[in-house]
Formats: sequence, C-alpha cells, structure tokens
Amino acid sequence: MKLKDCHNFYDFKKLAKQKLPSPIFHYIDGAADDEITYSRNTSAFDDVDLVPNVLRGVENVDLSTTIFGKKLDLPFYLAPTALQRLFHYDGERAVGKAAQKFNTMFGVSALATVSVEEISSMIDTPKMFQFYFHKDRGLNDSCLERAKAAKFDVMALTVDTITGGNRERDLRTGFTSPPKLTLSSLFSFATKPMWGINYLTKGKFELPHLQDFVKEGTSTNSSIGNYFSTMLDQSMNWKDAEKLCSQWGGHFALKGVMSVEDAKRAVDIGCTGIMVSNHGGRQLDGSRSPFDQLAEIVDAVGDKLDVICEGGIQRGTHILKALSTGAKACSGGRLYLYALAAAGQAGVERALSQYRAELERGMKLMGCNKISDLNRNNLRFRKK
Amino acid sequence: MNLKDCHNYNDFRKLAKKKLPAPIFHYIDGGSDDESTLKRNTDSFNNYDLIPSVLNDVSNVDISTTVLGEKIDFPLFPSPTAMHRLYHHEGERASARAVEKMRTIFGTSTMSTVSIEEIGEINKGPKLFQLYIHKDRGLTDNLIERCKNANFTSMCLTVDTVVAGNRERDKRTGFTTPPRLTLGSILSFILHPGWTINNLIHEKFKLANIVHMTQKGSTIDKSVIDYINEQFDPAMNWNDAEYCVKKWNGPFALKGVMSVEDAKKAIDIGCTAVIISNHGGRQLDGSRSPFDQLSEIVDAVGDKIEVILDGGVRRGTHVLKALSLGAKACSLGKGYLFALAAGGQKGVEKLLEKMKAEIYRDMKLMGCKNLSELNSSKITLRK
Repeated sequence: MKLKDCHNFYDFKKLAKQKLPSPIFHYIDGAADDEITYSRNTSAFDDVDLVPNVLRGVENVDLSTTIFGKKLDLPFYLAPTALQRLFHYDGERAVGKAAQKFNTMFGVSALATVSVEEISSMIDTPKMFQFYFHKDRGLNDSCLERAKAAKFDVMALTVDTITGGNRERDLRTGFTSPPKLTLSSLFSFATKPMWGINYLTKGKFELPHLQDFVKEGTSTNSSIGNYFSTMLDQSMNWKDAEKLCSQWGGHFALKGVMSVEDAKRAVDIGCTGIMVSNHGGRQLDGSRSPFDQLAEIVDAVGDKLDVICEGGIQRGTHILKALSTGAKACSGGRLYLYALAAAGQAGVERALSQYRAELERGMKLMGCNKISDLNRNNLRFRKK
Repeated sequence: MNLKDCHNYNDFRKLAKKKLPAPIFHYIDGGSDDESTLKRNTDSFNNYDLIPSVLNDVSNVDISTTVLGEKIDFPLFPSPTAMHRLYHHEGERASARAVEKMRTIFGTSTMSTVSIEEIGEINKGPKLFQLYIHKDRGLTDNLIERCKNANFTSMCLTVDTVVAGNRERDKRTGFTTPPRLTLGSILSFILHPGWTINNLIHEKFKLANIVHMTQKGSTIDKSVIDYINEQFDPAMNWNDAEYCVKKWNGPFALKGVMSVEDAKKAIDIGCTAVIISNHGGRQLDGSRSPFDQLSEIVDAVGDKIEVILDGGVRRGTHVLKALSLGAKACSLGKGYLFALAAGGQKGVEKLLEKMKAEIYRDMKLMGCKNLSELNSSKITLRK
C-alpha cells in the first residue's frame, strides 16, 4: 500500500499502521478505557442526516471562515497534538508547511517536538499554541512569552487533562516518550526498520518547550499519562484561567469545555473561543461526544465566542453537519496524524486536499455557496 | 446458481456478482464515501411497522395506480439508470422489453446505451426520460425534442448531480466507461469470460443519445465521475428547470428533491411530480434517506404534487410502507440492474414479477383491496 492508494481517513490509518512501530501507532489510535467515547465521537454524526437543496447554481463555492479574527481558507484546522516527530521524522515541520499551503490554522502543542520559534520562522499563516498548566510557573510563563514573541495568534488552554486518561493500549504496548525498547516492543521496532533509522538519524528527539524545566519525556522515558498526572497542576481553577487569559492579552480559548455552564464562564473570563472536545476520547471514557453536545453549547454561547467542534471528524460531511449545527469551525488530530505517519508533508497535504474536495463537493450537493448558507434547517435528527 | 434460484433482491445481486467483472458490479453496488446513506436508505424502512386489518374479503385486489399521467399495473417502476449495456450486452433493449411486458413505466437515462428512438420502437408503453442539463444547452433542447418524437410520456430532470459523488469503490477498481483493461481489473475480466466475450462481439459500447454531441463517454475512456464533472452544468438553477418544464409541456418530475422548500418550488414551476431521492446513496453521503424524509414532504405538498419515493426499495412491503405514508409510487434502480446483469430481459421480468407478487400478497395480508386504503393508520413508527 502506498500514498496514492489513500483515498480517505481509513486508508491513511491503514498505511500509518504499516509504517509505525505498533506502540506508536496505538498511541495515536488508542483512547481511554473501553474507547466508547472515541467510537461515539464519530458515530454521533450518523444520527443526524443532511437535507440538501437543489437548483441553486453552485459553480463557485467559498469554504473560507473566520475564527479568532483570522480568515482561513478552510472551515477546519489542525488541532495541536503532541510528539509529532515520533510519527514522522519531519514532525511539526511537515504539518506546519502543509497547513500553510492550505491556509488553515496550525495548532502547536506544548509537547511539540519542534520549537515555536522555528515554526514561526517557517510559516506565516495563523498559528495556535496549546498550553498545559504546569506546576512549575516559570515553565508556564516561558511558554506564554515564547509563543507571544513568536507571534502566535491564538493561545488555547487545555482543561480536560487535569490527570492522565487511562490509555490501556499504551499500558499493553509499553508506550513511552521517547520510545523505550522493551522486550514486547522490540519486535515491532525491528520490523519497521525505516521508522527506526529515521528516528535515530534525523535529529535528536526533543521537547523544546519543556526541556529547560523538566526532564520527563525529554531525556527520561515517560508515559504521557504519567506526565499529565505528575507535571500538571491539578489545582488549576477559573482564576488561573482568567489570569492566563489576561496575561496572554490576545485571542484565548479553552480546549475541552463540555458543559454549558463552563462555556458561559469562558465568556465571562474573556475567552474568544472554546473547543468542545473530549480530547479525542483519550481522557474521560463515557464523556459525551462533542457533536452530540454541540447544539446545547451553541444555543447558549454561540453568539458570544467562537465554538469549535473537535473530535471524531473523518469526512467532509461531518464538518458540514457540525457547521450546520452552529460550530464556527472544526478541528481534529487523527484527521492529519495518520497521514503524517503515512507520508510526512506529502501525506498531510493529500489528506487536506481530500477533505477540501469532500467539503467542496458536499457544499455543492447541499446547494450551498458559502459556509454561512449552512444552518439547522439542513439537518434532521433521527428518531430512535 | 442461475436465474431460477433468484427469489429476491439479494439473490439477483449474488448472481450479478458472479456474472459481472468486479469493477462493473461495484459500480452498481457502491455508494459514496462511507456508504452510510446507501445503507440507511433500506434500513429506514425497518423503523416503521405495518398494521394489518383482517377479515376484509381480499379475494380481489387492485394494485394499479396512475402516476405521471399514466395508468400502471403496480405502483413501482424502474428508475432511469445509465449504461445498461455494461451490465448485459442487450442493455436497454432487454430492460425496455421486460418493462413493457410488465406494464409499468420505463425510465430511460440521458446516458443510455440505446438511443431514444430505438427505445421508442421497442417499448410502446409509458416511458420516462431522465434529463441531465449539460453545459451545452443545445443538447438539452435536442434531447427533449427527440423524446417527444419517440412518444416518451414523461420527463424528469435530475437535480442531485451538479457534481459527482465520491464513489470510492470506483477509485479502487478503476471503473471507466467503456471498460478499460487495467492491471488491476484484467484478472476480473478474464474470470468473467461470458460478460467479456459478449461485450467484445456485440456492437461497440456508446452513449447512444449524446454520442454525436460529445466525444466524452464514447471513444475516450472516461469515468462517469469525470463525465459528470466536465459535462453537467453546476450553475443549473430554477430558471433552467422551469425552461425544461415548459419546453416539454407534459408530465414532468424533478428527481432528487429532498427539502420541503424545493418541493414547493417544484409546484410553482409547474411540475407534476417530485421524486424524493438521494441518487441511491451515490451522491451526498450523510444525506437523509428518502423514506425518512417522505412524511415531511407529503404533509407539505402531497395534495398538490405527486410524490414518488426512490431509493432503498428491496421488498413489496417497502412499497406498501411508502404508500401508507403518502407516496404515489416507488421506483428502484439497483434491484433491476442486478436482475439485468443476472439474466437480461428474463431477469428483469422475473424481478418485476417478484416485486409485483410481493405487493399483491402483502396487500391481501394487510386487508386492503386497493392502494387508496393504504394510509397513515396502517403504519406506525417504532419507538
């Protein structure tokens, strides 16, 4: 199987599985506990149907949307995800360049393997920095300052990782960062020699935003769950979020808001957006899917800040359903990570061009010329 | 397995799969994206149950109905579908003869492989022509004119294909028309020698209605997807539709209407019918199933325009359920195409006979003497 055989999300996933040592593949592909929330994140879209309009003259379709004051050519962006150089040796360099080519937002994780400075010198399209609230306040300040100096447009504080989710696949495969050779993973690394060679020869694995402050995950092998549980400050509260928001002084979002109550408080503390998200099903299993919860949130705060639907998106029509419900945009991690693992920048670009084509075709078949033509009249929720 | 073993949709599908090279079978069988709409089209019937009445003396049952200005023997007809000669070497000749015999409406596609004129000769019964608006508007006028001369009785304009759906099975099998031998498909053609020999010894494959107007789809290997995207006009709007209604000046349907708003506009421009359809799940995946959407449309416009349900129909009871919710008739595509591939004219006749017999039997079991007795009291949504 090659890149040219990848026509959709599932194909990229299959190719990624071929290319990656299994602990790494399962780190991307896995989720918490029984992975019920993970599976619901996507299947939630199947409980609502689209009702198209016809004969509207759709030779030109405009997919652009504006979030956080930035105009994007696409109504979705690449959610910040950690450790991208584990998936492909180019890591964030590949993803950032692909995002720039499609003029959509690139989300960079605090656990990125390429620095904000380098990313900023590489791409001039909109950038979001995703922030974890560490016990070490010096580290927190450093992250904010560096992102500001590197002219990042949006700061997103992740609020759903107060402790690590129970990722049982990682327990079984022994996934750590950097990868540790255990007896059980050795075979898998040995059978994917290209990954191993690239990993060892294409530059040292680093977490540039953290390494001056902590040793976890940089030189010491650590699991992500362990990192969340030991490094992040579990006393984080609304006051801390408000302080960070004003310290940042620009577009600020909370990532991982699920309740209406919290969405309203996000408005109160000055956020300009929220990501309705359950961290891709990787934290609280049994948590409601973002799409199931979306209407409730949009009805409460949709006119006061940008509501982003994040999680489970695998098709252009999923995005159309979320936008019809009232999301300003969508985002996702796996929707580009498998493609990154499959073929680096070329893979991500192919995936993005497929989503764009799916969106364009879907819009035409819906009889819509622009994103604002989508609304809830286009949707019917299935009766049980 | 042969034709005598075919008792239902699934049997015909199975036999078709044995007879057809894989790219062609999957072209019929596939839908768009994840095929969730394709699957839902049939599944949605299972969310509703029929409620029979008993002791009603059903020794005589009349299942005839009048739709698109024509009386037909039973409330089901074959949807217009493209390129029948891909499925059986006799193509539309076989299906048109079978449908005439079964006394229902024959749907002919713009992309038929037998000409309008020849079909007019073969089939003297009611005929529906399905129109695509091409960028070349002269082609539209020409098709309407020719249908009039060939005594077609009704016309429909397909409105759900402004751009081609994402049919991923075709991407994997490399489906083109005419079929092209690729490394990936060659084995499949060799393994289906009957189809391959018939395709080679009979006349050359062509899109008979448009071959003189365009090179595409005749001599050049083109996927249907490319054809739709290059030739059909995405700027098509309500004025174009109204123009066709006036030009035709007879029973006229819009095929692929899904919203109440559009059904109302169809009335305004003078349509006789709307065909509620998502193109058999082959266009917008995630689109609502016709049966799920039926009540909404019937409640809004059912007294002003004929509502025809197209998509997912596999059984006589599916037709009864649609009629109970207010559809005037149903149409089906995949079912008779598999039958055509399975057994040519005989196959299509057998499939339609089976469907007619199911409708007839089910009417008796429902305690109904004629179709007008089917109404919302006969059906209930499962909670």
